[in-house]
Amino acid sequence: MHTTRGTTMADKSKRNIDPQVRVDRLREEHEQVVKGCDEQILHWKKVSGDYEALDDRLRTLPDHLSYDVMVPFGPLAFMPGKLVHTNEVTVLLGDNWFAKCSAKQAQKIVDHRVKYVKGELDDLLKTRKNFEARVGFTEDLEELSNKGSYVDIREEVRSKETVVTKGKQRVAHKLNSKPKLDTVLDLEEVEEEGKGVEADEEYCKILSEKELWARLDQLEKLEELQDEEDRLSDTGDTNGDDTTSSSSSEEEKEADCSQPEKEPGPKTSWATSGPANGQLVSQAAPGGDTTKDEDEQEEEEEEEEDCLPTIYFSHTVEPKKVRICTGKNTTLKFSERKEHSLTHSKRKKKINGTNGHSHHELHKITSPVDIYRLFVDVKNGEPVPRKSILKSRSRENSVCSDTSESSAADFDERRLVCRSVSHDDAPHSDTSDGHTEDDSPTALPRTPSRFEAFSGTVVEKDPTPTAVPHLTIAPPALPTILERKQEEGTTDAAPPVEPPKRVSKFKAGRQNR
Amino acid sequence: MAEALQKKLQSELEKYKQMQKDVSKSMSVRQKLEAQLTENNIVKEELDLMESSNTVYKLIGPVLVKQDLEEAKATVAKRLEYINGEIQRYEALLKEMEKKSDQHREVLSSLQQEYQKATGRAVAKV
Repeated sequence: MHTTRGTTMADKSKRNIDPQVRVDRLREEHEQVVKGCDEQILHWKKVSGDYEALDDRLRTLPDHLSYDVMVPFGPLAFMPGKLVHTNEVTVLLGDNWFAKCSAKQAQKIVDHRVKYVKGELDDLLKTRKNFEARVGFTEDLEELSNKGSYVDIREEVRSKETVVTKGKQRVAHKLNSKPKLDTVLDLEEVEEEGKGVEADEEYCKILSEKELWARLDQLEKLEELQDEEDRLSDTGDTNGDDTTSSSSSEEEKEADCSQPEKEPGPKTSWATSGPANGQLVSQAAPGGDTTKDEDEQEEEEEEEEDCLPTIYFSHTVEPKKVRICTGKNTTLKFSERKEHSLTHSKRKKKINGTNGHSHHELHKITSPVDIYRLFVDVKNGEPVPRKSILKSRSRENSVCSDTSESSAADFDERRLVCRSVSHDDAPHSDTSDGHTEDDSPTALPRTPSRFEAFSGTVVEKDPTPTAVPHLTIAPPALPTILERKQEEGTTDAAPPVEPPKRVSKFKAGRQNR
Repeated sequence: MAEALQKKLQSELEKYKQMQKDVSKSMSVRQKLEAQLTENNIVKEELDLMESSNTVYKLIGPVLVKQDLEEAKATVAKRLEYINGEIQRYEALLKEMEKKSDQHREVLSSLQQEYQKATGRAVAKV
């Protein structure tokens, strides 16, 4: 074994490493293993058969006291004789050790051995199956390299400028992550071994998912920090940064999207974390912002390269929707998200520049991203991206910039609200026009984190008699929140700032009075 | 010059082959030891299951010699230990031999290269 290895190694160094030959050799090796397994399986099956026969014999042997048999007498002759002491069996235990047992005991020993044989057989069958699968893979490899039914997707890895990252460059905390990326990056050169590397990719995928989760936590913290920074610096800036989104699910999504963008190997990251990304996003919020999934776009150009058709794709930046804080309401706007921008002014410039630019290109669809540009509502002469219908409405009107300050307050408020709400089921349904989330009382406890005091929609309704008694119940719980929320300086016995509709109703009632 | 190199090459090759043979021999011995190990393990298990009522024999040559169950157990245990020790020894030996063979291989490859160069030069001259 060693000799062959030695000589072939020398040979290999001399001749050019022909991929085809390698694949063939791989397949040969696999087939050898399979053959070996087969042989062993045959052997063990035979042994198992023998033991079964023995078991039968042992069972029937003590039936009679003696048997008339033809006893072998040397290699050529037999002699009639008797088989006596039918219950006494001398068993070979192994390594020249014998034991005299009764037939039953011998049977027990046989059972024992049969179990062992079965175990071996199962192992062999498993290995055989594995190697057969591997043989299948190598055959696919051949197909891949020869026939070209597989398409090789390549992406040009440009310089680091285009690598979109949010915040800092990622530092590999895990030692495993970088090498795996390298092996996967080598996919471009070694097409034939794609399948082998796919196995690595699979593993890398799993790894990168774990990384993603860890990264998610990191990014969330980063975003929160950035949020605070931005809020402090751009108080009047309508073209807010991308980080003004406050919901945790959105942060997750952004983190998800930034994650694949950060990885230096875009092609591989697209392959590996794309599906992971999709999974994560779907977990985060089913009706989520689908546009964020499509940060990476494909420009399909098929090129013939040697024998393999290849698709080249590159990332295009998608018009990012941002929440712009205008007082208490927030609206969606398009903004170009440029990563690696160090200054806010730089970002503003770009945004202003590209906003106009995007306006012109509205009607020209070259990539899926443009579709989103097309589906816009034109408000005040500017294209406003249409909100996903799956998103809850209250988000629209949330006061993003204030969340950090009032989040604590809000939380208390919501808790109290929930408590009060639990008593008051009926009025909710009355006043829940246009609020999808408040249809059921159970919806409320679910969304406390995204509650705002004033939804912006004032429901003009006469305060019903039924509502009034509820009012008496509710107020003790809620006056404090109002102090903080309402800057108009409403009175202490203020209407409760509960679910938006309630506030509006009572405020409306008060205002009407 | 080239011929001297060639002779050197040949001798090195012979040595290397010898090394490889030794390595493979030790490997086979080790494998045999492993088989014995498993066997003795089975015997040990069987003896543990065995009650003292039935007699245990040991095959010594053409003779089956009666043995005491406890004695047999002790003997088998000792044999197991011995086999384990042997396996370890052979493993160490094997490692050493592998290292040596690797060194030899390197020497061989360098010699080969030199020889090629020499022959190349000779061809060029001619």
